[in-house]
Amino acid sequence: MDIKAYIESGVVESYVLGLASSQEIAEMDRLRGQYPEIQQAIDSFETSLEKAAFTNTVAPSPGIKEKIMNSIKNDSSQGAAIIPMVSSPARKMGWMQYAVAASVILLVSSAGLNIYFYRQFSAANEKYVALLNDKTSLEANLNIYRTKTLDMYSSMQMMSDPSVIKVSMPGVKGMENNFATVFWDSKTKDVYLLPNKLPQAKDDQQYQLWALVDGKPVDAGMIGDCNGLCRLKNIQVAQGFAITLEKKGGGPIPHGQMYVLGKVATS
Amino acid sequence: MELVMLLKQRQQFAFSYLYDNYSAALHTIILNIVSDHELASDVLQEVFVKIWKQIESYDDSKGRLFTWMLNISRNASIDMVRSKAFQNSQQNRELTESVYDSGGSTRVDTDQIGLRKIVHQLKDEYKVLIELSYFQGYTQDEISKMLGIPLGTVKTRLRSALIQLRKFVK
Repeated sequence: MDIKAYIESGVVESYVLGLASSQEIAEMDRLRGQYPEIQQAIDSFETSLEKAAFTNTVAPSPGIKEKIMNSIKNDSSQGAAIIPMVSSPARKMGWMQYAVAASVILLVSSAGLNIYFYRQFSAANEKYVALLNDKTSLEANLNIYRTKTLDMYSSMQMMSDPSVIKVSMPGVKGMENNFATVFWDSKTKDVYLLPNKLPQAKDDQQYQLWALVDGKPVDAGMIGDCNGLCRLKNIQVAQGFAITLEKKGGGPIPHGQMYVLGKVATS
Repeated sequence: MELVMLLKQRQQFAFSYLYDNYSAALHTIILNIVSDHELASDVLQEVFVKIWKQIESYDDSKGRLFTWMLNISRNASIDMVRSKAFQNSQQNRELTESVYDSGGSTRVDTDQIGLRKIVHQLKDEYKVLIELSYFQGYTQDEISKMLGIPLGTVKTRLRSALIQLRKFVK
């Protein structure tokens, strides 16, 4: 143990001044018997403290000594062996009252503090829960955007692939406002649809994409509720694409109104 | 120490000698904490009666007689300050002072006497810790909450303050 550092740590002063914790006191009581340097440090601080306490003093009023001497007189006549009782019952009561009053004050103020801290705690806890909810929903939103961004990125990759053929499908007669685009991968034969502009289908209706093969429509898949690009059925050969509005689930041949139609450009 | 032996034998002349030699120093530390003259006198009486009654329990291998008496005085003073009677007297004094005080209070400036005068030479961050712990008797935990600084900081800073204090009392 580094005794010098221990002595220099301020523990001696806090021990002498009565500021040390019970743990520190126990340790000091043990060490001071073991190490003369520690005992010496204690002695030296006690001496200088005493000297300091004797400077700039204010003497008590002259009458007090007599009062004190009187109050101890009764005790001394009882002899040294007897532990003297408190001087007067009135005084004792006084201190009892102080003690009771002090403990009541302590109890009340501690109860008050408890309520106060509990309120603080509840308020903080509510805020914490609210923040936690905000955080969760923000995270969820973030994930949605992240997925959308990834989808868009892969869509862009796909669209810019030189083997992908773009088939623009303008609105047919009477449906000039509508427009959709098919991206058809000539290698993998994958078909993607971008429904640029199609009116909202009713609940029991659904748009269906057709591949036009030698003048006949071939089912190319139902257009569901997809974000951005919809991936539909693979088509091996086609000269054009069209979209009709069908009953939900569609069918092998078109029955409903055709909205858009586009021809595959032959290069 | 002969004085202690005589006191343990309950010799009143020894007690009288003790009072003559130590009452001013103990009265001053009490004033440092209680600051009200009348209440400080009450505490001083209580302290000397306590010394007389408890001298049997004083063990000179544990420290100097003065240190023992100083700690009794400090504890009794802090108890007084925390008592209901003291709180009431403070209120009364504020009241009477506001009515009658026309400058020139009889109260001593307790920062200018005894140990507190020495403590007031320390820098502020040290002074406040010794003020709260030694003169007002708050625990380090309470101080940490009052000042809003971590307990560990209170501990180390109080230690540094005490090291500084030692240099001043030498």
